[in-house]
Amino acid sequence: MRRKRIPEGQGQPCRAAVPGSPALLELVRVSKHFGRPPHQTVAVRHLDIAIRPGQFVTLIGPSGCGKSTLFNMIAGLLPPDPDGTILFGGEAQRGGALLGRVSFMPQKDLLFPWRTVLDNATLALEVEGVARRTARARAGALFPEFGLQGFERHYPHQLSGGMRQRVALMRTFLFERELILLDEPFGALDALTRTIMQRWLLDIWARHRRTVIFITHDIDEAIFLGDRVLVMTARPGTIALDEPIDIPRPRDAEVITSAAFVAIKRRLLAILERESLKSFAVVPP
Amino acid sequence: MTRLLRSPAGACAMLALAWFVLVPLLRVPPLILPSLPAILRDAFSVWPALLAGFLITMLETVLGFLLGAGLGFGAGAAFAYAGWLERAMLPLFVASQTVPVIAFGAIVVIWFGNTLFAKIMIAFYLTFLPVTVATIRGLQSCDPERLDLMRGFGSSAWQRFVKLALPSAAPVIMVGLKIGIALSLIGAIVGEWFGATVGLGVMLLQSLYFEQTARVWVLIIACGGMGATLTGAISLTGRRFIWWRPG
Repeated sequence: MRRKRIPEGQGQPCRAAVPGSPALLELVRVSKHFGRPPHQTVAVRHLDIAIRPGQFVTLIGPSGCGKSTLFNMIAGLLPPDPDGTILFGGEAQRGGALLGRVSFMPQKDLLFPWRTVLDNATLALEVEGVARRTARARAGALFPEFGLQGFERHYPHQLSGGMRQRVALMRTFLFERELILLDEPFGALDALTRTIMQRWLLDIWARHRRTVIFITHDIDEAIFLGDRVLVMTARPGTIALDEPIDIPRPRDAEVITSAAFVAIKRRLLAILERESLKSFAVVPP
Repeated sequence: MTRLLRSPAGACAMLALAWFVLVPLLRVPPLILPSLPAILRDAFSVWPALLAGFLITMLETVLGFLLGAGLGFGAGAAFAYAGWLERAMLPLFVASQTVPVIAFGAIVVIWFGNTLFAKIMIAFYLTFLPVTVATIRGLQSCDPERLDLMRGFGSSAWQRFVKLALPSAAPVIMVGLKIGIALSLIGAIVGEWFGATVGLGVMLLQSLYFEQTARVWVLIIACGGMGATLTGAISLTGRRFIWWRPG
């Protein structure tokens, strides 16, 4: 299959580390298979991705394309197949070395029901060994920004879905790492709440400037948020398209109807549709 | 008023009232069911022995329960994290519980003599398994996604246990503790049957021997009261501190 080369890849992707590479995160021919040959599933195959510090990269693909597998590998929760390499800060990461180096937020908020909002937010800091008082002070300072002021002593079951998601995001942000992984953080929210949260996230990102990988299945969301949109193919997932989004920031809600936006969307839609249909097609074993 | 009627205390009062009225009204023979005043009179006549017996049986129950809960929790935690240990040992534990407590009780008295410790051991024997099983189930039902989240924060296994697995398991463990305390009381009473001088179990055996029906009922009520008090104490503690749902 024809595949566009990733510009940040610095020429041909190769197995060895690129010394002095400007990329914060680099995936070199990363694959992941599950099971043994007769019933083997290849979730992702030969992924080459390079992400520069400070970039907001959105990742989109048909359902079941291995987005979450990729996410788990970057988070260090899942080892890639041995022939691929994940480089973080220019160093190859092996055997769970990425655990604790990447701040990630899964699809579900996964708040702990027995902890107050404040204590949920400080969870990662607590794990790091930050003193309770310091952790609470740092979290407390973020409450207004995350629209949660006055809810410090509430419990998760007392909050709406959007608020719970913001608590989970705050927890992720407080775990201060250069790279933030977000897996469909707004997927479960209604459309209106989602657009509000998207603009709010861009706001936060503009202020904190971390590197973000944002997984979504919503094209508008992918274009609206990203500096770059990576489109994945159907399983086995590879990168079908690496689309830079040159729409100037700050972006507001009207951007979605602009000509530039629509043009990009049309391009992405064509590929996504092709890939989605593939995942529906009956493929002989 | 209706709230009082719907409460457990209200239900008890209604039952007592029915007992008080119906037994003389229907001329129930005292051997089947003595009247409530007769039972109260009998309780009053043995008041000091009843109080001493109540306290000693309660002590045996609570100590046996604490021992069983502590070791049951320890064993459950070990089993939850070491699959091979669970596969090897848990069937033995379960099999040990199928030995009737009476048979076990005789052996314990032979081993430890007619001591408080022997009764505590029997109470412990009955408490141990439900707490172990509840601990295993509770810890194993911990949400794998939350565990991944904690791993992603670079947590140690101990941190995952203390901050996540244990609070997730707590509601399930509470259920085990509630079953455990009720069984512990049975253990303490049965333990006293193998030779003791003070205790509700001893009094129960004596009254059965001398066919003192009213006394038997006094002891049934006393045992029921103790069971309800202990279970209620655990329930209340649980509801106060462990109010979230498992998982």
